[in-house]
Amino acid sequence: MSTFDLDSLLLLSSILLPLIVGAFLLFGAFLNKATRCWISALGFGWPLTVAVLLACFFEENIGAYNYELCLPTGLQSIGIYLHLGLNAVSMPLFLLAGIVGFSAGLYAIFSQVDRPHLYLALLLFMLSGLLGTFASVDVFFFYFFHEFALIPTFIMIGIWGGSNRRSVALQMTIYLTLGAMLSLLGLIALYIASGAQSFSLPELRSYLAANPLSQTVQNNVYGLLLFGFGILVSLFPFHSWAPKGYASAPTGAAMLHAGVLKKFGLYGLLQLGWPLLPLGAVHWLPWIIWLALANILIIGLITIAQRDLKLMVGYSSVMHMGYAFLGIATFSVVGAGGVLLLLLAHGLSVALLFLLSTCIYQRSLTLDMQQMGGLATKAPVLAAFFIAATMASIGLPGFGNFWGEFTIFVALAEDVSTRWVVFPAAIGIIIAAIYGLRASANIFFGQPSSGFTERLQSGTIRDLELHEKLPATILIIALVVLGIFPRVVSDAANDELSASYSLSSESRFPEILLESPINKIQLEETHK
Amino acid sequence: MTATQILIALLLTPLVTATFIALFMRRLGAIASYFSVTAAGLICIFSVLAIGHFDGSTIAVSWDWLRFGTFEVQIGFLFDSIAATMLTMVAFVGFLIHIFSLGYMQSDTAKARFFGGLSIFMFSMLGIILADNLIMIFVFWELVGFSSYMLIGHYLDTEEAKEASKKAFIVNRIGDLGFLVGIVYAYWHFGTVNLPKLEALVTAQPDLINATIAAFLMCGFIGKSAQFPLHVWLPDAMAGPTPVSALIHAATMVAAGVYFLIRIVFLFPVEVLDFISYLGATVAVYAGFCAYAQHDIKKILAYSTLSQLGYMATAFGLGYPGVAFFHLITHAFFKALLFLGAGSVIHGCHHEQNIFKMGGLIKRMPVTSITFAIGLMALCGVYGMSGFYSKDAILIASGLTNTPIFVLLIIGAFLTAGYMGRLFWIAFLGTPNSEAASHAKESPLTLLLPLVILAMLSITGGLLQLWPDSLGGLIRYDVDHLHHAEQYDAMHYFVLKLGTAAWIIGLLAALFFYRVGASEDRLKKNFLPIFQFLHAKLWFDEIYNFYVANVQQRVARLLNFLDLLLIEGLLIRGSAGAISLLGMFARSVHVGNLHSYVYWFLAGMLLLWLACFGLF
Repeated sequence: MSTFDLDSLLLLSSILLPLIVGAFLLFGAFLNKATRCWISALGFGWPLTVAVLLACFFEENIGAYNYELCLPTGLQSIGIYLHLGLNAVSMPLFLLAGIVGFSAGLYAIFSQVDRPHLYLALLLFMLSGLLGTFASVDVFFFYFFHEFALIPTFIMIGIWGGSNRRSVALQMTIYLTLGAMLSLLGLIALYIASGAQSFSLPELRSYLAANPLSQTVQNNVYGLLLFGFGILVSLFPFHSWAPKGYASAPTGAAMLHAGVLKKFGLYGLLQLGWPLLPLGAVHWLPWIIWLALANILIIGLITIAQRDLKLMVGYSSVMHMGYAFLGIATFSVVGAGGVLLLLLAHGLSVALLFLLSTCIYQRSLTLDMQQMGGLATKAPVLAAFFIAATMASIGLPGFGNFWGEFTIFVALAEDVSTRWVVFPAAIGIIIAAIYGLRASANIFFGQPSSGFTERLQSGTIRDLELHEKLPATILIIALVVLGIFPRVVSDAANDELSASYSLSSESRFPEILLESPINKIQLEETHK
Repeated sequence: MTATQILIALLLTPLVTATFIALFMRRLGAIASYFSVTAAGLICIFSVLAIGHFDGSTIAVSWDWLRFGTFEVQIGFLFDSIAATMLTMVAFVGFLIHIFSLGYMQSDTAKARFFGGLSIFMFSMLGIILADNLIMIFVFWELVGFSSYMLIGHYLDTEEAKEASKKAFIVNRIGDLGFLVGIVYAYWHFGTVNLPKLEALVTAQPDLINATIAAFLMCGFIGKSAQFPLHVWLPDAMAGPTPVSALIHAATMVAAGVYFLIRIVFLFPVEVLDFISYLGATVAVYAGFCAYAQHDIKKILAYSTLSQLGYMATAFGLGYPGVAFFHLITHAFFKALLFLGAGSVIHGCHHEQNIFKMGGLIKRMPVTSITFAIGLMALCGVYGMSGFYSKDAILIASGLTNTPIFVLLIIGAFLTAGYMGRLFWIAFLGTPNSEAASHAKESPLTLLLPLVILAMLSITGGLLQLWPDSLGGLIRYDVDHLHHAEQYDAMHYFVLKLGTAAWIIGLLAALFFYRVGASEDRLKKNFLPIFQFLHAKLWFDEIYNFYVANVQQRVARLLNFLDLLLIEGLLIRGSAGAISLLGMFARSVHVGNLHSYVYWFLAGMLLLWLACFGLF
């Protein structure tokens, strides 16, 4: 089963190298600055290089994984292997981790922090965990790597966080650990209930396709996964950790957590939810829809009320997760595809927004947007980047986010029972425009507020510098590529999702199949 | 080059230009401006080439853009007579306005941003024109919204531009919400959003036409073409540089709403069409009244644009999309001329925009004044001018089908002549009313050349006989259709007399009421309540501001408060508190104090007894 070809070793190396570099840096207080920079650049750069290479040589291989690697862990008796591999759904997310990780790393290398070696080491650990999460075929390791990435986040907030970092770190830890526990419970329940004797995702999938679980078991397991993952993705009303946590987290941690790590829960639901537990998914459908609408509308309105830039970005990221949950709730390839696109684009755009928020803060020395104004005259490039990032995040076509949101709307309208959701959900595009443009206008346009005039005239405000521009540019380019040519992701993912989603509908869901609109269209076509 | 290659080159030229400007020419304003003007010139050349290839048969090509399961999006071109006509207009008017901008923006400090924005706009606008499906239209639709946002906010350190750009984008988004929902519903209702396929489908099965979907799609038009009740953004958008007002907020982008309607005319049932015609006629009159309370030359023209868009909408709603399209094209010529004329005046008067501080410009700026007068005559529908033919057709169409609308439109025509007369008599005749106006000089050639060319187009643009054969198919068809209507001849003379009377009376009334070169508004001075009523514009802005400040903002704050109080406070702190209370209780049981153990023991006994006696 295990092959040791070069590709899979590359995959393994991309996860291990940041770990090794991180461990080295941990004890690297003695290193001088240049050495530290170069070593950590290696740790951040290598995964991106590998991810790009693997993406280029990715072969479409429906239902199976590329670059598979299966190592015994000593837990074979309960079916746990270190089983790595990438399919068309995880490949783009792996690449996302590489891109955001590299940008965050690049920014972190040049930023002024206390104990930089520790900071970089923790960031590298996080990155390693993120890459492992999306490269895991084994559900156990999928979870394990997530936890592995989560712990450095807490530590980083605790050490380098902003205002009242102690209580924020504590709250976030309790909250996210609770979410992780619930989802672990769900995963274990799934393992035990299925009787497949394996944590391997494809094995679980084929086993459950042949031996579906009962309705009750599915309801309970899906419920655990939904709320467990939901807490991790800040599903309403379990969101309050997110804006505060991100506002207080150091930039690198916020970029990696909001941009990539948070996607874990949705990725989990995407891969495990409907494909493994279709009856449970249908049972929880109304819950998902109402809670996701609350995410979009209630959190959206709350976002409008924010004056603090980072809190606003944090709330807006919570709001956009509502769309992703709606996509999850469609149980269709269209919806799943939309979720995938939105996860990628949102990851890029929110990381960019956190990065730029820090850049703004360093110039304005405040995060209160009403205490700013007119910054564009002093920092036009920063203004252009921020407006581009805002436009991306509010779903302007040309950036990837638009395709994610739009595809999800289309998916919602496909089924008659969820068609009504499109309208309330789409109100979000107005809400997003209001807070996004208001923020841009208050920060960059018009005349500076009275307290800010002096700061603006002081001559100390410089435009975006190279170490800020470079990571931002990488993120923007990725967003634009996704916006102009979404097929880089969609072509392969479509086949993969079609395979995994149709399997579950056909084998275990004859009664739903009759109502499914795809089928209706086929029926109509045969009528014609 | 094949036609498809030409269209690709046409679409990509401005995009590449804008990208280059953004990446490399941020500090090289002058080079950026030449670059952008060259791109606009290339667009003209490409569109001439494309029309040369165009023999009346539609060019339709498309490529896959995105596919997930049953959802497919294509990117493609639909180049038919309608697109060709619109393309010609946009390419040429766009090019002229680019040239004008060279002179007008000469001393601007952010030239590169301005010209980059113009190029991005051209790209987005061409995308709307050439798009072959609703989703692609929507994509470029949002992009024109973005370029409009960027250009309105050009003078970014002014509060006015800050507010106006934000407002324009958000109000447009409200319309786009309906548009988006309409597309999504249409996708599943019809199974496609490709325009030719939709047309074929609806022609074969007319009962597929759905009023709800049509109404949703119409929202996009209402937002972009600034119709009731989303018209509030357009007058404010005048905060942008004048060439932008001419290009985007008069000639092309706002007219894209009407163009979009014409593209999907087959999807509209009668109810929605009726609604659009009444809506348009109402806006035509409403905006006409509003123009009387404005002092800013650009705002007067902005209300005039609203009013003319109302005319187009009315013609469309009455079932004459070709006539609407006709007015769209002629309006683009004369309204671009009027705005550029206003730009020339503003340039000459050192950024003075108040007409009561101008006066006597005809002596100081003769070319500008004469071309402005030509534009004015075309707008008023003076016999023989371009505006006459299209407006006449709209009036005849309404006269033949719907009397109330006809009355409204005639009132609108009278109002048009009145406010334009007011503008012209006050600003151009008489004596200068300010220092700036008395020092006004005629503008340089880069400003005048576009004016002269547009003036010629404003005179002759309405003569369909002069148009190339491949252009204006739909227009000819609908106008012919009108000519062969019953009672056409009688109505034709009636409208000719009434329309001519309307503009003559309107101009003269303005002359006698306001006097030439007046320095103050007589309406404001003598009839203040009326002026204030008109100035309030039916309080739309006030209502919206009230909503934003007192409803939306308060709800947002309240939700924020509840979020902090209930979820953060009660749920999280509460559960944390409950757990620590439990801990305190558990601790108090094990204090190691004999007395308390005795009490606990007693309480337990008591409970046991009570349980035994069946009290629980």
